[in-house]
Amino acid sequence: MWSNILTTLFSMRFLLTIIRMATPILFAALGAFTAASTGIGNIAIESIMTFSALGGVLGSYLLNNAWLGLLIGLLIGILTALLITFFSMKLGADAFLIMIALNTFADSVAIFLLYQITGDKGTTASLPTPILYTWDIPLIKDIPILGEILSGHYVLTYICWLLIIVMFVVIYKTPLGMRMRACGLNPDAARTAGINVERLQVLSLVLSGVFAAFGGCYLSLNYLKIFSKGMVSGQGWMGVAANGIANGNYLSLVLSAVIFAVFRAVSIIFSSNSAFPTDLVSAIPYFSVFVILTAVSIINYYRVKSGKVEEH
Amino acid sequence: MTDNKFSKLSKNYKLSISNPKFFDAVKMLISILIALAITFVILCLVSSDPINAIVTILTGPLTKTRYIGSVIESFIPYAFAGLAAGVLFKAGAFNLGAEGIYILSGAVVTAVAISPVTTSPILHPILCFVAAMAFGGIMMILPSFLKAKFGTNEMVVSLMLNSIYAGIAAYVVRTFLGTLKRGGNSSKDYLATARIGYLYEPLRISACFLVLIAVTVILYLVMKKSRLGYQIRLAGTNPRFAEYSGVSAFKLAISTAAIAGVLSGMGAASALLTQTQFYTPSQSLVGIGFSGMLLSMLGRNNPIGIVVASFMIKYLEQGTKILYFVDKSVPSEIVAIVEGIIIMLISSQYFLRRFRERKLLKEGLEEHVE
Amino acid sequence: MNEIILKLDNVTKVYPNGTVANRDINMEFEKGEIHSVVGENGAGKSTLMKMIFGIERPSSGTITYKGEEVHFNSSMDAIHAGIGMVHQHFMLIPSYSIVDNIILGDEPTKSIFIDAKEATKRCQELSDKYNFELDVTAKVSTLSVAKRQKVEILKTLYRNAELIILDEPTSVLTPQETEKLFDQLRFFKQQGHTIIFISHKLEEVKQISDRISVIRNGVSKGTYLNADLSMEQLTNLIIGRDLENDMDEYKTHEDFHGERALEVRDLYMERNGKPVLNNVSFEVKRGEILGVAGVEGNGQQELVKCITGLEATKYEGLIKVCDQEVNHLNIRGRRDIGMAYIPEDRMVDGVAGELPISDNLISTYYTREDINGKLFMDNKAIARMSDQLIKTFAVKTKNADASVNSLSGGNVQKVVVAREYNTNSRFMIAEQPTHGIDIGSAEFVHHKLIEMRNAGAGILLVSADLNEVMDLSDRIIVMFNGRIAGYFPDANKVNESELGMYMLGAKHQSEEEIGGALND
Repeated sequence: MWSNILTTLFSMRFLLTIIRMATPILFAALGAFTAASTGIGNIAIESIMTFSALGGVLGSYLLNNAWLGLLIGLLIGILTALLITFFSMKLGADAFLIMIALNTFADSVAIFLLYQITGDKGTTASLPTPILYTWDIPLIKDIPILGEILSGHYVLTYICWLLIIVMFVVIYKTPLGMRMRACGLNPDAARTAGINVERLQVLSLVLSGVFAAFGGCYLSLNYLKIFSKGMVSGQGWMGVAANGIANGNYLSLVLSAVIFAVFRAVSIIFSSNSAFPTDLVSAIPYFSVFVILTAVSIINYYRVKSGKVEEH
Repeated sequence: MTDNKFSKLSKNYKLSISNPKFFDAVKMLISILIALAITFVILCLVSSDPINAIVTILTGPLTKTRYIGSVIESFIPYAFAGLAAGVLFKAGAFNLGAEGIYILSGAVVTAVAISPVTTSPILHPILCFVAAMAFGGIMMILPSFLKAKFGTNEMVVSLMLNSIYAGIAAYVVRTFLGTLKRGGNSSKDYLATARIGYLYEPLRISACFLVLIAVTVILYLVMKKSRLGYQIRLAGTNPRFAEYSGVSAFKLAISTAAIAGVLSGMGAASALLTQTQFYTPSQSLVGIGFSGMLLSMLGRNNPIGIVVASFMIKYLEQGTKILYFVDKSVPSEIVAIVEGIIIMLISSQYFLRRFRERKLLKEGLEEHVE
Repeated sequence: MNEIILKLDNVTKVYPNGTVANRDINMEFEKGEIHSVVGENGAGKSTLMKMIFGIERPSSGTITYKGEEVHFNSSMDAIHAGIGMVHQHFMLIPSYSIVDNIILGDEPTKSIFIDAKEATKRCQELSDKYNFELDVTAKVSTLSVAKRQKVEILKTLYRNAELIILDEPTSVLTPQETEKLFDQLRFFKQQGHTIIFISHKLEEVKQISDRISVIRNGVSKGTYLNADLSMEQLTNLIIGRDLENDMDEYKTHEDFHGERALEVRDLYMERNGKPVLNNVSFEVKRGEILGVAGVEGNGQQELVKCITGLEATKYEGLIKVCDQEVNHLNIRGRRDIGMAYIPEDRMVDGVAGELPISDNLISTYYTREDINGKLFMDNKAIARMSDQLIKTFAVKTKNADASVNSLSGGNVQKVVVAREYNTNSRFMIAEQPTHGIDIGSAEFVHHKLIEMRNAGAGILLVSADLNEVMDLSDRIIVMFNGRIAGYFPDANKVNESELGMYMLGAKHQSEEEIGGALND
């Protein structure tokens, strides 16, 4: 049995599973990171993913085109982000409470809409929905091993990695990114340098909504090919956690997201083996987040305490 | 993450007006009216007979005693969850762990309820309660402790723990407390001694109802009049001022989490011992802890407000259920929309501000010319 | 006369809560001069500069810059017009390099990217041109305070500022660093820049300025040629000391048998490897006020932290409150022994703004018997007591249920003082007790402090306001660089210029003389 599992862990299939699992978490992490760069804690990633996952599928069904569906999904992400800024900036509500509320009734709202359109409270399986497919890269797909690793993934997986590179460049190499980070690091300094801090914060939250929406649409239009109740299942929160661990470091953001994906993949492999209790195995990814997040904070605590790092 | 510029905008905004409480009440009322108006618009879109639909939602539960009874029975665990969230929010904590504590204490309740620990039909439910309360109280502390001691993000940790606890509960029930009846993921039926009967059958009033009322009153008094409640107020509004005044933020974080956990345990026990009489971790208590947070926001973290809000929401839900019998186009999830709109409006400090300011300006001009 | 670059006409600033920060200020700044604006803490210098730099807008009056009336809506407008400001608290991002800090908001680009090469080149050239001796690729977090200040100055030069405002630039510098800064300022002057130099250190002002404008209580007291003004004249203009303010006549002198309220022995504390408190020893007896004078940032804040135990701070030495050692105690324990504390930042530490006044009036003794019943707090007793305190302390409010946020600054401070007064403690720390509040409330607070002193409390008064220290104190110590630089056993026998010498580090007493602070 163990040899079986070991073979699986070192197989190509496992690697490909990780890549598939990593995409939504990376999208979520990218969203959390972008908002955090201007000093905003976006904890509504999970709910934006849910809304957009549904919106993407419904859009695709109604417009009969998967790409238009994706566009609808992204629009919903933007609208949700704007809704948050409207209530927090224009109406003076606590942004945290608004976002907690959004997360809490996201599922119900999604189910309500789902039911109105499909008559089903669980999934969109009954809807004939055009979906986004995988993409084979010409030439590269014919290279042995490398071709298998690089080619044949879902379209949005490629977009995800592309966006990771693009956002790295934007955040670290352009004036916009430098100003955004300045807002997060020292808003007063940014303001005295003539930067409109509030405007950049809204922008970053909207971008954050777009990335979360990509994550949601990946799940519903690409990976699972349907919307089903509870499908986001904490992947948005894993992105938020990855951002918490990264603490402003882009590389560790990507790394933590991938590590979480590894644990998701592990949990899938173990759950297909009847020798392990499925209930516990399904909790592995969450447990990994809990352990890593806690460990990182404890390490930081002692580093600050021993005076190695200055507290800000 | 805590130092959020968004919320800062609203923090120091307050004017001296003659009666802010009255203003709050008016705001609440208008929020509810707006939410109902939007609901009506939605009903117009989805239902063929929207007027009948809204009337049914609002008055349906009053048409039969058993409808009201059903509301009374089902709102109790939600009210407990709301009270738990209220204590945490009031203390300024973002520990969202009630969901997981409900599901995990469900397993604890079940373990006691299927064991012949006593033959007394009074003692047995009490033991179930005590076990769930003790267990919930201890388990709830974890995220708050990590936050207070190491600064770990309690929101993410508590959410992850929710999923972990759900896995553990499912495993424990399946492996140790289960039966092959009901597909293998439910527990055995509870022993007859563990069930809580009705004190007044037609309205389904059980001892749990009385416990809830008692707990609410006690909590209200604790919050309003006790030294602990005072400490929670201080730490919840300005933690630095609390430290300055000699209130230990650490102790307070632990004790409020413990109280919230105990309340969650009570909620889990009251749900299982009156309603289902067996436990299915993937269904029985799912979502109650999360709803509690919304109910707490609706009730503005005030124990009595929370209980009223819970009743109101469950009432509306019952209304939609009744509607669903006759009109399949409106699922009960519409209540979430009502809830969401009200919450967003009442937490908006600037909502109706102009109206209030104009009033204030008049008063100010009349009173003192400086 | 030279060309006038900036002109203020009848500039007045009234804040929404009614505080008049500046009244009818008229000032002219000539192109290419170093023009100091001096005045005490809270005299209104900062507000005036904020208006020039576009952070605040005048309530009335006009600002004319280069012959045109200007109405800046934000500091961006001022920057575009050619005005730069070096803030007292640096506006820098520590994790950014010097270059990034300088170019932020005005970045050179190559297509859509930041042109890092060009930026570095420009910044390095700028730094070299003004002899700043900086490696502009270094991270700001690795820089000394003096170098950070240079970065701030470079920021203004990078934006082609012709008029540069420096707000208390020397408060964070050593004398040698100050010398260097002055050399640079003179160089800027040669290059045609106009410098507005804000300070309350008179020696420095005399040393660097061409002309000097004085502000007192928000009102301009005129502009003078430096050469025409003696040190004494300048001091009088700034302080304009009103002898009637002296509180001695309210003091009574009962005998408390030399009982000690506070004893501090050999206090030592370091931060980042440097001592911020060094060999500090003194005592406060019951029935006296010990004033701690000093320029801000010379260890006073750390001293207060050590004594109150508010934050777990590591220090060496011995602290006794009412003859009990308190080193191991947190703030609660120290309060229980008999300590009261009026904190510097009242809105952050001193009150919970959203809670009612009554809640704020009891926070430091909420467990006391007279306001508690057996099980619950006695809300009636609390209400009664609150009403009484509101009346005694003349807090302007409708009732005790109003939130503290609805009060003006002076009334908030009265709430804080009333609460600490009501603890009946034998030892009280008053940290900047009248900072930023109106004169009426300030006087009230002073009288209450004297009243407590007369009743037998020992009060440690830490204040950057020299007048306050001299008016209230029985004895005075002066802090400089984390040490006690001078001790004056009789506050009436010392004048401000004498104290000033110690505050600025120009004079230092012998160990023996300072020892008197503990053993008198």
